[in-house]
Amino acid sequence: MNCKELAYMLADYIDGSMDPQLREELDAHIAMCEPCMIFTKTFLVASDKTRQLRKEIEYKIPPEVRSRLETFVRAAALKFPEKVNEYREQVERERREKVAALLKAAIAGRLSSITALLVETHCAGCPECKEYFDGLLKASSPAAGDPPMLIDSHVTRLMESLPPGEEFFLA
Amino acid sequence: MSAERWKEDEVLLESLRKGSPGAVDEMLRLYQGKIFNLAMSILKNESDAEEAAQDVFMTVIRKADTFQGNSAFYSWMYRICVNTCLMRLRGKRRTDTVSIEEFMPVFTDEGMHASPMDDWSKEVERNALNEELGRMIRKYTEELSEKYRVVFVLSDVEGLSNEETAKILGLTVPAVKSRLHRARLYLREQLSRYLREGKAS
Ligand SMILES: [Zn+2]
Ligand SMILES: [Zn+2]
Repeated sequence: MNCKELAYMLADYIDGSMDPQLREELDAHIAMCEPCMIFTKTFLVASDKTRQLRKEIEYKIPPEVRSRLETFVRAAALKFPEKVNEYREQVERERREKVAALLKAAIAGRLSSITALLVETHCAGCPECKEYFDGLLKASSPAAGDPPMLIDSHVTRLMESLPPGEEFFLA
Repeated sequence: MSAERWKEDEVLLESLRKGSPGAVDEMLRLYQGKIFNLAMSILKNESDAEEAAQDVFMTVIRKADTFQGNSAFYSWMYRICVNTCLMRLRGKRRTDTVSIEEFMPVFTDEGMHASPMDDWSKEVERNALNEELGRMIRKYTEELSEKYRVVFVLSDVEGLSNEETAKILGLTVPAVKSRLHRARLYLREQLSRYLREGKAS
């Protein structure tokens, strides 16, 4: 081991993740090499001091910022219930649109291969969904209205199991 | 993180979800200082940090309902804060950061220390210099690029573990560890130069 390797291995040495044999080598080097001895000592002292002075290094929130922030957040939070409902409705709307788009893509045979595989696997174990999808394909047009609740929830879960960013239909 | 913090977080999250009166005050009491500190250490500007903190709390209120609970609440909040701040930094001119490479220890081709070492550990251990050192450490930290600064602040100022920091920043644990180590090597070097020059004058 040389001084350079030692300097970059200090992190493992300190957090105890270094394997015992390397540790012995490192200790042996420090015992023989004065620069490394001083380097390690000053490194440890500087790191400990930093943690000890944590509160001094921290940015204190100025009183006027604190009170402005409180006023702002409190006022905004008064509209909280409406905002949450709005948000929930939006999420639900987006979900229903996605389910409808998936069913449409299934009829048109435009599901992405990963989605088609997911649907197929699911239908193999779920008679309700199998019947529904078979029916769709036979009629080759979307059923009127939303799908039955059970199908709806299964399709939703299926879409949620897609990796993030994965499109479920072919462009 | 302490058990009390977990408990407090759980109660807070529950009351935010229900929209209970007092939930917002409780959130501010627990997190206002921390979020401001984190935002300041990334943005280094008080009015930017204030606006970022507003955004963070609004996002938390709006999304508390959809929070999945597969990470700790405070780490979710820190994550929102880091993302909000980095978004604000985007497109802004980066101000006066130093290159960390200039402050890494220097070695010969054989990998030996290239310059003599000065042992200032005793000086620093004494608490007489604390105020001055705190000021210097903050100044040196501010000069780091945010890549290192954020890791340093979460680990050494907020006291989070490498695992927690990695989760918040979306980094691997080895990446966090290596950035943190380089930040500490840099601090050692800066302090060393400061103390040596201080002595010479
Ligand atoms: Zn050495
Ligand atoms: Zn099914």
